[in-house]
Amino acid sequence: MTMTTSTSETEAVHSSTRSAAPLIVLTAPFGQEAQGSLDETLAHLESAWPGESILVATAGDVTSTQPSASTFGPRLVTYAQPRVSAAAPLLTAANFIMAAELVKELNTPTCLMLGAEAQTVTPEVLRAFANALSQEAVDLALPCYHLGSRDGLVNTAMLYPLTRALYGASPRFPLATDLGLSARNLQRLALSARKFIHADQEDALLWPVAEAAAANFSIVEVDAPGRILTQPAAPDLNALLSHVLGSLFADIEARAAHWQRTRIAKPQTPVFLHPSTEPEHDAASLVSAFQLAYYNLQEIWAIVLPPTSLLGLKRLAQLSPADFVMPDSLWARIVYDFILAYHMRIINRGHLLGALTPLYLAWVVSHFNITAKQSSPMAHREAVAVAFEADKSYLVSRWRSPDRFNP
Amino acid sequence: MNVKKAGSANDPLWYKDAVIYELHVRAFQDSNSDGIGDFPGLISRLDYLQDLGVTCIWLLPFFPSPLRDDGYDIADYTSVNPSYGTLDDFKRFLDAAHQRNMQVLIELVINHTSDQHPWFQRARHAPPGSPERDFYVWSNDNQLYKEVRIIFSDTEKSNWCWDEVAGSYYWHRFFFHQPDLNFDNPAVLNEILVAMRFWLDLGVDGFRLDAIPYLVERDGTTCDGLPETHAIVKAIRAAIDEGYENRMVLAEANQPPSQLLPYFAEGDECHMAFHFPLMPRIYLALRQEDRKPITEIMAQTPPIPAICQWGLFLRNHDELTLEMVTGDERDYLQFAYSADPRMIINSGIRRRLAPLLDNNRRRIELLNSLLLSFPGTPIFYYGDEIGMGDNIYLGDRNGVRTPMQWSPDRNAGFSRADPARLYFPVIMDPIWGYQAINVEAQLSEQSSLLHWTRNMIALRKMFRVFGRGTTEFLEPENRKVLAYIRHYDPDSASVNDTSAASASSGDSTETILCCANLSRFAQPVALDLSRFIGMVPIEMLGYVPFPTITDQPYTLTLSPYSFFWLELSSQYGSPGQQPQQTS
Repeated sequence: MTMTTSTSETEAVHSSTRSAAPLIVLTAPFGQEAQGSLDETLAHLESAWPGESILVATAGDVTSTQPSASTFGPRLVTYAQPRVSAAAPLLTAANFIMAAELVKELNTPTCLMLGAEAQTVTPEVLRAFANALSQEAVDLALPCYHLGSRDGLVNTAMLYPLTRALYGASPRFPLATDLGLSARNLQRLALSARKFIHADQEDALLWPVAEAAAANFSIVEVDAPGRILTQPAAPDLNALLSHVLGSLFADIEARAAHWQRTRIAKPQTPVFLHPSTEPEHDAASLVSAFQLAYYNLQEIWAIVLPPTSLLGLKRLAQLSPADFVMPDSLWARIVYDFILAYHMRIINRGHLLGALTPLYLAWVVSHFNITAKQSSPMAHREAVAVAFEADKSYLVSRWRSPDRFNP
Repeated sequence: MNVKKAGSANDPLWYKDAVIYELHVRAFQDSNSDGIGDFPGLISRLDYLQDLGVTCIWLLPFFPSPLRDDGYDIADYTSVNPSYGTLDDFKRFLDAAHQRNMQVLIELVINHTSDQHPWFQRARHAPPGSPERDFYVWSNDNQLYKEVRIIFSDTEKSNWCWDEVAGSYYWHRFFFHQPDLNFDNPAVLNEILVAMRFWLDLGVDGFRLDAIPYLVERDGTTCDGLPETHAIVKAIRAAIDEGYENRMVLAEANQPPSQLLPYFAEGDECHMAFHFPLMPRIYLALRQEDRKPITEIMAQTPPIPAICQWGLFLRNHDELTLEMVTGDERDYLQFAYSADPRMIINSGIRRRLAPLLDNNRRRIELLNSLLLSFPGTPIFYYGDEIGMGDNIYLGDRNGVRTPMQWSPDRNAGFSRADPARLYFPVIMDPIWGYQAINVEAQLSEQSSLLHWTRNMIALRKMFRVFGRGTTEFLEPENRKVLAYIRHYDPDSASVNDTSAASASSGDSTETILCCANLSRFAQPVALDLSRFIGMVPIEMLGYVPFPTITDQPYTLTLSPYSFFWLELSSQYGSPGQQPQQTS
């Protein structure tokens, strides 16, 4: 590993107890143009741990314009920037390996990985992470972001409900870009990450909640208001879904023996969702994309989905955009059947994931309609999660007995 | 020179969770159209085995051999029979299997060689008492070891054979052309270890040691499993452990359970041994519709060391051996399962699984459910996953060694050779023929035996209890029903402690109730499950919750030849139930 420090004092500035500040790993690079952002991040860190020494690892060759105290405050450690995710600014296998090596080398008991736009993580949120990690039992701390009501829809539609239903773990953002980790959890994640590195997949995604649940590690959630998340530079929904869901489905496949024996988690305290600042989506065009797919993708859907789901889709295809509502249980079963088809390799996996995209768009329209007329975004998010939990037995039974002759 | 390669397994107890598939290279897939299966052909079928859920491939002997006993007459321990490919082909196969997370177990016949082996040719020409001669067991008359039984009683009249060249008798426990090696000569063991290291260095994960009870002879004994033989096995194991990690030795010793225990010793002889006596009793119990033959033999099965494991099978490349049952039981089984005298060989029955069960799908599934849920590692014989038939008109045990039936194409998709060139003809009759029974057809039919077998293997692999758990047989009044509890606690010190299973078992434990109806009619059963009060049995294949266990007898009704695997859960949440926190 290539690592340099900005000061000559490389001796351990951290005690090995959890009461000290965690090692801060900034996973997104700060170029010269982002000097201000780096300084702002460092200022937040100093404010979160006043009078304490803080090791901050960041990618590339950077310098801080912040005044550097001789004993206290942030000290920069630099590392070589690994390959970033192709589809979205998400934590990759390479990020976890780098963080694990830093934690091992610097002998810190905990680590806080902060993703892009780290300057929007407030000192209060940083302190909340620190408090969570200071508990010996905690191995994974995830943020609960306060997003706009139309943000994070892939998470609401699939990532959160699947993680909750399958692993009995309830963090609402299982693919968060900021993570608090114990050293042992990080080492475990790095072990998983190495399999991807050996396969030359540095930008592969990892699923820390599933990993922690499998290891019976303790998971906590940290309220993270004010965090601004980076959107993909050029959002290609199909590529993004394929990347994220392909990884998630593969992870689910690999952990079948675990999640088929895990019971469901307890419901969460609601978190306020801000009104979205995004422009209104054109529901008509989304519905029209779904209807087009309904005719073009029938052949694929027919070998993935059972007759009850196909009938449900047929009814949906006949609805106008204003009346377009997909039952949550139908959506849950569709996702479950796609997971099963992915596992069974019924068709090419790329084609399979592509065939899910228009169904997701249909869910999005349905979600907008439901949240506009019937319930709050927060309530619908929970309702979707409950639907996934209720139908988990459907997935387990289909997985174990995947005969296509089913209802 | 070989570079010493690591084995493919990371867990030293990998064989406990394994699903083993026994095959003959010759019978699996021919790649060069010579009518004989080969390693390149086998490589091309590895995806099929991976998809089936196989985790370990057991290869029958593939060494140079005159093939007078289907390769069990080895003429060179460190090479590949040219008919099956080259050593490089074998290495490619090994790598390809390991890439698919499959271990490879090879068969080593160390009790004897072919009479064509250079060691024997050298010995017969060497003077008596010379080191070369001393590689085999010689006698001037045929009166030594008179108490020793003849194994191949249909063809051999004596265990001694006169050799004109040597002017002496040589000892053979099997066919006359398979002289026994003399393990009283330390040079023999050294040479065998050289051969073993050759394959281990290539990365082979284990050996199935053929006929190991017979390694050493002593007059006045039966020559079966003598202390001197165990000393040899221990020495072999020590040599393997000294140089290699995570390798496994599987013993072929057709003995009663109590006499098998010494082959495990203190965990320092064989890792695994076949449970030979169980297999015929499964067939006996099924035909008599009575669980007693099974529960009786399991009661006689002693606990084995924690690192050891039973190898379980329904059928294999040999006859259904009946040496481990009483005379009456043998007669009964022969009447029950071999209507045609041609089906009998060496007092066993040379038939495959499906024909033995009259091609009854329910009976096949029932026996496979026992294979997959009894304590031990299941071993499937190639072709049984699709219900292949046999050909009793072929000699010896060759009727169960016919080419794998891949498709309805020429030669069952096994080979593109002229059908007359095949090493054995493919099965062609209307019921068992390859047009009716083949992989391609069963892959395309969702409710085929192949799909069912794949699902059951996948289900078994999700629960460690099947490979590592304890077993306790229940005693319901209705003896047509076989019921047993499998329990696994990863934190338990004893793998033999069956009393640990109860409603208070922890989250990480697995407790499964298995119930099998051995009868052709529906059967009721009432089980005493009082120690599991409050737990919910969940039918494992369909994930269906059954009524909660109370202090009353738990009643089940089983349709003909049906079985249940019920996971006993203390935390099952029905749909809509308030979920629980895990973190």
